[in-house]
Amino acid sequence: MLCSAWWSAPDLQAAQAPVAVRAAAPSTSAQASADKSDPAAPLAKYCVTCHNERLKTGGFVIDPAQLIDVGAHADAWEKVVKKLRTGTMPPSGAPRPDQATYDSVASALETSLDRAAAARPRVGTLPIAHRLSRTEYRNAVRDLLALGDLPKELSIDYLLPADNSSSGFDTIADLLFVSPSAMERYLDAAQKISRLAVGDTTLPVLVNIHPLDPEHPQDERVDDLPFGTRGGLGVRSDFPVDGTYTVKVELAGGAGRDRHQLEVTLDGERVKLEAFGGAPAGRGGRGGGAPDPRLEFPLTIKAGPRLIGVAFVQRTEARDEATLRPRTRSRGTQPAIASVTISGPHGASTPGDSPSRRRIFICRPSGPADEAPCATKILSSLARRAYRRPATDVDLRDLMPFFAQGRAAGSFDLGIQKALERMLVSSQFLFRIERPWSGTSKDVPLRTNVPLRTEGTTYRISDLELASRLSFFLWSSIPDDELLDAAVAGRLKQPAVLDRQVRRMLADARSSALVTNFAAQWLYLRDIEAKLPDEVLFQDFDETLRAAMERETELFVDSVFRENRSVIDLLSADYTFLNERLAKHYGIPNVRGSYFRRVPLPAGSPRGGLLGHGSLLTITSYSTRTSPVLRGKWVLENLLSAAPPPPPADIPALETKGAAPGEQLTMREAMTRHRANPSCASCHARMDPIGFAMEHFDAVGRWRENDGGQPIDAVGVFPDGTKFDGVAGLKRELLRHPEQFAGTVAERLLMYAVGRNLQYYDAPAVRAILRNAAPARYTLASLVLGVVKSQPFQMREAS
Amino acid sequence: MFVAKKALPRRTFLRAMGATVALPMLDAMVPALSAAPKPIPRFGFVYIANGVIQKQWIPETTGAGFDLTPTLQPFANVRQQVSVLSGLSHLQADTFGDGTGDHPRASAVWLTGVHAYDRTVPGVEVRLATTADQMIANVVGRTSRLPSLELAVDFPTQGACDSGDCFYVNTVSWRNATTPNPTESHPRVVFERLFGDGGSAEARQARMRSQGSILDSLRAEVSRVNAELGSGDTVKLGEYLESVREVEQRIQNSESQPLDIELPERPLGIPERFDEHTKLMFDLTALAFRADVTRVFSMIMSRELSSRTFAHIGVPEQHHAVSHHRNDPDLISKKARIDFHQAQMLAYLLEKLQDAKEGDGTLLDQSLVLFGGGMGDGNLHRHADLPCLVAGKLGGAFKPGRHLRYKMDTPMSNLLLTVLDAAGVPIEKLGDSTGRLPLEPLSL
Repeated sequence: MLCSAWWSAPDLQAAQAPVAVRAAAPSTSAQASADKSDPAAPLAKYCVTCHNERLKTGGFVIDPAQLIDVGAHADAWEKVVKKLRTGTMPPSGAPRPDQATYDSVASALETSLDRAAAARPRVGTLPIAHRLSRTEYRNAVRDLLALGDLPKELSIDYLLPADNSSSGFDTIADLLFVSPSAMERYLDAAQKISRLAVGDTTLPVLVNIHPLDPEHPQDERVDDLPFGTRGGLGVRSDFPVDGTYTVKVELAGGAGRDRHQLEVTLDGERVKLEAFGGAPAGRGGRGGGAPDPRLEFPLTIKAGPRLIGVAFVQRTEARDEATLRPRTRSRGTQPAIASVTISGPHGASTPGDSPSRRRIFICRPSGPADEAPCATKILSSLARRAYRRPATDVDLRDLMPFFAQGRAAGSFDLGIQKALERMLVSSQFLFRIERPWSGTSKDVPLRTNVPLRTEGTTYRISDLELASRLSFFLWSSIPDDELLDAAVAGRLKQPAVLDRQVRRMLADARSSALVTNFAAQWLYLRDIEAKLPDEVLFQDFDETLRAAMERETELFVDSVFRENRSVIDLLSADYTFLNERLAKHYGIPNVRGSYFRRVPLPAGSPRGGLLGHGSLLTITSYSTRTSPVLRGKWVLENLLSAAPPPPPADIPALETKGAAPGEQLTMREAMTRHRANPSCASCHARMDPIGFAMEHFDAVGRWRENDGGQPIDAVGVFPDGTKFDGVAGLKRELLRHPEQFAGTVAERLLMYAVGRNLQYYDAPAVRAILRNAAPARYTLASLVLGVVKSQPFQMREAS
Repeated sequence: MFVAKKALPRRTFLRAMGATVALPMLDAMVPALSAAPKPIPRFGFVYIANGVIQKQWIPETTGAGFDLTPTLQPFANVRQQVSVLSGLSHLQADTFGDGTGDHPRASAVWLTGVHAYDRTVPGVEVRLATTADQMIANVVGRTSRLPSLELAVDFPTQGACDSGDCFYVNTVSWRNATTPNPTESHPRVVFERLFGDGGSAEARQARMRSQGSILDSLRAEVSRVNAELGSGDTVKLGEYLESVREVEQRIQNSESQPLDIELPERPLGIPERFDEHTKLMFDLTALAFRADVTRVFSMIMSRELSSRTFAHIGVPEQHHAVSHHRNDPDLISKKARIDFHQAQMLAYLLEKLQDAKEGDGTLLDQSLVLFGGGMGDGNLHRHADLPCLVAGKLGGAFKPGRHLRYKMDTPMSNLLLTVLDAAGVPIEKLGDSTGRLPLEPLSL
């Protein structure tokens, strides 16, 4: 039985296409006898007949004589390895070797390639200055200044322009641009954030508008809000100063004829209860009812993170529990909140005692003479964490003039604020700069007259540079003190220390960035927010469902990571996370309540693993129907690193009309016709079967037996003839080669961590990661450690 | 919410740096000897994506008095100011056997005439070219508060984009071959960039001084860092330094040019509906033009691959999906409705510019607005016979009000060259241009 991977097809653009790197399973036949491990003979027998100088089939020539120096043509040999590992060459019809030969030749080549790479590592080129992405900036501000809930008006998404991504990741260094308009935004953000962090009483009034989605039902209690309430929302926000703020509530649909009560809570304590509504007796009819109440409340709020809750007090009355048709839900009879606006501070205010102030002011000047020393202490401490290295005299020479200006213009606090503003636009904050200095790795920041390394040499980055790479990889944020300390002491590269730090960081709550930043980008999960399923065809798709879908996938991925499961469980798990809304959508009974909980799935359930998640099923559909092609492409690209090349020009339109007038073809019939064209078939033969296997899931991820009145036919056939039925069958096929999926995860992690697209010379590193993670069954921790220890992560090429 | 209806009433003079009377921009431009004010050119580039239904866009008749096709009906009130150009193509957006996809290439080619690079060199991620709007901004926008303004109504695309290169669709304006300009979608951010974040003139001045001293300090810092790094790859730090210098220049421009306009209320939120959002952005643009805060703007009215739906005009499906109509009459009609709606939005801007007086005529007389996209037939991903509308007279350099039909596949880059010429940009070739586009009626 040939170990053929049905998802690979011959490259259409062999010369130009970026090589999709895939690693091999530890070969069971690697114990082949000595003569069998020499690849020259099999290559000559099976490959050179076409790929020789004379015929140059596919523009590719294989010369076994070049085996003595595999490293000289590593890009070509890596292509050969890929073809062998996926069994796509020799092509069907030509004589093919047995499985043992495939494995031994591929292993032998890999060994040579790995050896060549070890002798002369290539780690690719990266720009010297790697700008923080917007997500990283947000997290850096959170960790530097203890500002985890910026007010809406100051949210980083609003303050800074969006980043660009490549292959789905916004950590790609070459795409992190700086332009004058971005610079203006950085300046603006620095001013606003520094004012917020220090608690500037002259801060202009912030107006934070929180609209509620009209489709969000408001007949149940919302998370974070007190029991006994319904609807509304809870807003967590960092309040800049102690002062008076206004909470204004806009109702949708007016007060109506019944009396209702609106409750405002601050950190869970009721601070306002306002009754409104209720028509004078006898008016009757629709036109009656009290005028819209003025729901504006001044509140005294202390600086720091606070939870403002605005909700209705739940009225007890018999009500329909149906969850369908949100538009006909309680809206018609009960008031709902359209928006909550929190503005302020109004009038006089004082700085207060917020976590950010406590973080910043680690000393207080005892007198005028103590101001400069205390400022130096404060700014050194901030700069150390902001710049990710010990602060130097040069740094302080840049910052102290701004302190002096602010001090002269106002107060000690204003001085610190001005210096902080300057710090937040420094190149030392906005960029990770990896300096090609020669010498020992004991890091010394900002030295002049240090000789530089020769261009093209590959060298190990310094401890401090490694610390930054680690924290941005695992936390999407700045290093903490413990990590910095280890780096400054020069201990970080010691294997035991590195290991311990990585495990510590994975256990830390900040590693949730691997779920919300890495996994969400890898799986294109963010696309769910832009999806707009047709309102008529999918009437019960609303914002609650969308949010629930996203949450399910996040919680699921998080569980696989945190519970040290094999990443293969992402495909094969027998559990998921549901709340009532999502469970009803999936047709899973006995799940009540809006909170998420783990739900074990019965054997054979189609919902286990990512392929059954509503989020990904919706992302890979159109707004009115499913798309087997989109789904097939998504699986190939994101789970198997085997993306098909882009479609050729001049694609004819997809014919959906049948022979008889008025006859409409099913999706499958239409696609079959389309695939009759051989130039289309080579890629579609790979994509479509996957998509068809998933056709039981409609465009919003519901299970269905029929489509357009006809029963779903979810049988797929791969180019090599393998047949499988439905998602269960597809999963079985995918799981035959678990190392393929693990390899994809490894590649994505490496790409994300290092900040560039992978090339052929990264293949040895990926193989090493997989080899070392195999004994641990490919847990995330083992893959992460593999990435951290890899050459591309630990080394740079001097440019 | 933003109160848009203020026509230009009596001017309020804002005091700035010692001057008690702020002179209107026009008067300040008056050369000593001449009586008539020197006209200030304005340029606009508005991009629409996913192609158009060409049959309903391109008029049958040519010359002046051409028939207003269904999609172009919204221009009835300004038809004297609008020219339709047909037959122009951007063939550099076709696939040359590489990746990137037709949609990213369409955005990339529109103002460059260049085939978007697709990572054919290992390790090199991105390369395009300086776009025409930036070339113009470098000439006519040097002394304005903002050399150019980049807007978008669609938010940037994240996640999947054809073959992964979303940065090509996220903007149509590139500073140089490796630096795209980000777009602004929040009206509030646009307002603040144009007019500051409120507060008195004194506060604004103080803010500018403070930023100036920060930028000064940054320049010194980066020079130092660059010195340490030797001649290594400093592309990113170079961008940073350039940006620092550019913002310093803008601040200097702002300080020497007081704002002479009555400012409307700061917009607070982002309008939910497409038309409200677009009109608000156009309100701000028109205001920026009137106050001469900027002279060049580009806007992405719809982003390539846009999945926006237009329920309020009866199109609940996504724009991109509808554009692949597969010759289904229902989908064709829906796409045409979107095309019409976008035309309505541009007509709104043109009418606003027409309503604003400048010198002896209107602001539209001094402007040139290019409306169109890099995709022609969105269903088949063709980049031929592109939608292309040129509005305004640019102070007399253009004579609008006609349908000019060119030999099929005449490079649109030729049109760009003509526009660049009119803007005073010294350039002989742009992308795949073969010469300037003659703007007199041609025979077929």
